Amino acid sequence: MGRYVLRRLVLALPVLLGVSVAVFLMIELVPGDPATVLAGDTASADQVERIRHELGLDQPLPVQYLRFVERLAHGSLGESTRTHREVLLEIAERFPYTLALALGAVTLSTVVGVGLGILAAINRGRAGDHVTMGIAIVGLSVPTFLLAIVGIIVFSLALHWLPVTGARTWQSYILPIVALSLHSAAVKARITRSSMLEVLGQEYLRTARAKGLRERLVILRHALKNALIPVTTIVGLQFGALLGGAFIIENIFGWPGVGRLAVQAIFNRDFPLVQGTVLLVAVAYLLSNLVVDVLYAWLDPRIRYG
Amino acid sequence: MNRIVRLVPALLLAAAACAAPAPTGQGGTPASKVGGSVTFVATTDPDTLDLHQTSNPVSSTIFGWIYEPLIYQDLDNTYKGLLAESWAVSSDNRAITFKLRKGVTFTDGSPFNAEAVKFTFERLVRVGAKSPIFETFKNIASAEAKDETTFVLNMKEPSAPIFHDLQTAYAGILSPSAVKAANDNIGRAAVGTGPYKLKEFQTGQQITLERNADYKWPPALFANRGAPYIQELRYRVIPEPATQLAALDAGEVDVLGLAAKDLARYSADGRFKIYDSFTYGLTYLGFDAKRPPFDNAKLRQALSRAVNKSEIVQVVFENKLAKVSCCPIAESIQGYDPKLKDFELGYDVAKAKAGLDELGYKAGADGLRATPDGKPFKPVLYTSTSDTHGKISTLLQAQFKAVGVDLQIKQLEAGALLAATPKAEHDLYLNGYSWNEPDMFSLFLSCDRIASSNRVLYCNPELEALIRAGRTELDQGKRMKIYFDAQKLTMQEAPWQPLYMPVSKTAINVKIQDLKQGQAGGLYWHDAWVKQ
Repeated sequence: MGRYVLRRLVLALPVLLGVSVAVFLMIELVPGDPATVLAGDTASADQVERIRHELGLDQPLPVQYLRFVERLAHGSLGESTRTHREVLLEIAERFPYTLALALGAVTLSTVVGVGLGILAAINRGRAGDHVTMGIAIVGLSVPTFLLAIVGIIVFSLALHWLPVTGARTWQSYILPIVALSLHSAAVKARITRSSMLEVLGQEYLRTARAKGLRERLVILRHALKNALIPVTTIVGLQFGALLGGAFIIENIFGWPGVGRLAVQAIFNRDFPLVQGTVLLVAVAYLLSNLVVDVLYAWLDPRIRYG
Repeated sequence: MNRIVRLVPALLLAAAACAAPAPTGQGGTPASKVGGSVTFVATTDPDTLDLHQTSNPVSSTIFGWIYEPLIYQDLDNTYKGLLAESWAVSSDNRAITFKLRKGVTFTDGSPFNAEAVKFTFERLVRVGAKSPIFETFKNIASAEAKDETTFVLNMKEPSAPIFHDLQTAYAGILSPSAVKAANDNIGRAAVGTGPYKLKEFQTGQQITLERNADYKWPPALFANRGAPYIQELRYRVIPEPATQLAALDAGEVDVLGLAAKDLARYSADGRFKIYDSFTYGLTYLGFDAKRPPFDNAKLRQALSRAVNKSEIVQVVFENKLAKVSCCPIAESIQGYDPKLKDFELGYDVAKAKAGLDELGYKAGADGLRATPDGKPFKPVLYTSTSDTHGKISTLLQAQFKAVGVDLQIKQLEAGALLAATPKAEHDLYLNGYSWNEPDMFSLFLSCDRIASSNRVLYCNPELEALIRAGRTELDQGKRMKIYFDAQKLTMQEAPWQPLYMPVSKTAINVKIQDLKQGQAGGLYWHDAWVKQ
């Protein structure tokens, strides 16, 4: 397993390099250059040219890319053209907020989603099933931004329980996490239900019951473990996506996360920062996929990596 | 540009709060009023508080409280001394000698003097390409610190707009010792002489400023002769308009600019008082005057007559958040003259149609016109993705259709729009400017700026001569006459059709007392205090 993880990590390097090249080329296609945006709408052509020179944008594209790789080799993603601070520092300041939101949302949505999925599966065709799947459909249908706004109206404006914006107190975390969780909880509930239904019909569960195991143990220890494999895939993908930031939620709640940083960097044509945040998303996906693959082996001993 | 237009009232707040001469005496600050906090909204993340490294309006609003310039613009638009007590212009108009205020200190304890001013302007010329006042300072031949309180600015050629640039937040004076201590990285280590100092910069969340208790040089227009009363100013980053309103309702912010749709609700809410203010600029409809067919002034004039400005102000702004503009210089800016209304082309559908007919743009069976060589006439209007610009474009489309012109709309994100216009991809252009100086002509309508900020690509030698004369004429009476002629010519040639001047409506929590409002509506905070 250790060798497998190491191999996957080594293989991640060319992927990241490929991502960086792709982003570099995509950035070239975006209309509007950083110097023009930085200089503002009253700037002269000379001013724009001077900024372009300061940023090295007057160099050929391959030279610019090689400089980027050279900086990367020295552990630097360069400087933000806007703030003149290290890109790594910019991301490092925001990442804890994004991580907290991602962990909170993945935990809450997994607990609620898997719980509802189990409840629906063991009550198949009965009221419990219909109610939980009804909740799941609502969760899938309600847009995240709407839930966030309704949450603000009810819990911040009407009840005065929670703050509207920012990430200053623990209460600030509740609305963004809940808003981010609903949709993914609904997805997990539906997947858990169908996966559980498939597992519940298996012979080994009949054997477990025949051995006299309590139903709770049968469900939670024997059925759930196998049913969780597809859910784990979803959790991994969602966690990876959330680590790249949740722009809409961050924007609504004034959350100082990576998503808002990335989108603002695109609007500002702050290309070093765009590169940095895209690489972060790529790393987040690679790592979460790796963790998911490792979890597969734990959940299903038949899966072996060598 | 729209972003900059929105900034102006905020800039005013900052500039005014920073500003002005304290002629005599030092009053104390009554302890009973000191304390409390006021929270503003920052619509985007401020990038840096290094005033030489940004043109970001949100940043300048914030560093405007921290740094002070040499002069400020008073309520009547005249320039008064702030960190400078007085100044004299040489006979050839190429040198300005400033006598600086004594007894001023930076918030790091170092003294303010001529060396600090020299250091600041030399740094601006060295690293300030991103600053909106950089171009003006390229005209500086040398800066001299004659003695502790005498500073001389030598210019390559006379420059009337220099006073405007010197009073902006971007011309604030830096503490040389603080810049050296921060190894020139002052983006988050801003130190000035202003009424507030930086307390905390929470990335992506909030910037907190705290009262400079040693501040003793407030502008003469304030009753408070000491440090500001309000203990803390906070700028909370809230990009989403709906959340900004919720934060205002919840009491998390105290000051917020309103949209027309929210005005009635907050006007009736006893928790807030609504303040009106004009902005120093306007929104215009421009034509790409460099290439056919809009290089023809007659075509520009015909289409200008199809524009119903009153309808735009009524439909888009409910007659509340904008005022119809007649002339290139907005009503709020020095150089505006109501007599110019006589030269306005005016809304006249019959004349617009007649003009188009005369030029050979004949209407087909569907009522839409074709070019003189028989091709469909479908000019393309470029504008930003802002909601307001979208609504105005749609109205313009309907107004043009009434004279048989099938206007196409292309909305581009701000960066893309800035890149597209110098390439002359557009036929028409809808945007605004914000510049509190009649020399806005040299930025937006001069031949020198065709590849950059002159987005209508209009170049007229006659206007160019007037622009140049206006830049170098220091006699105010003569200068205003030059701008009268420049406006008249522009209105006749119609590279632009000024549409409206935005009006800001700001809801402010009634806990804030004694807030002053200037003639143009700018808010002045130095007497303000927070009722606990």
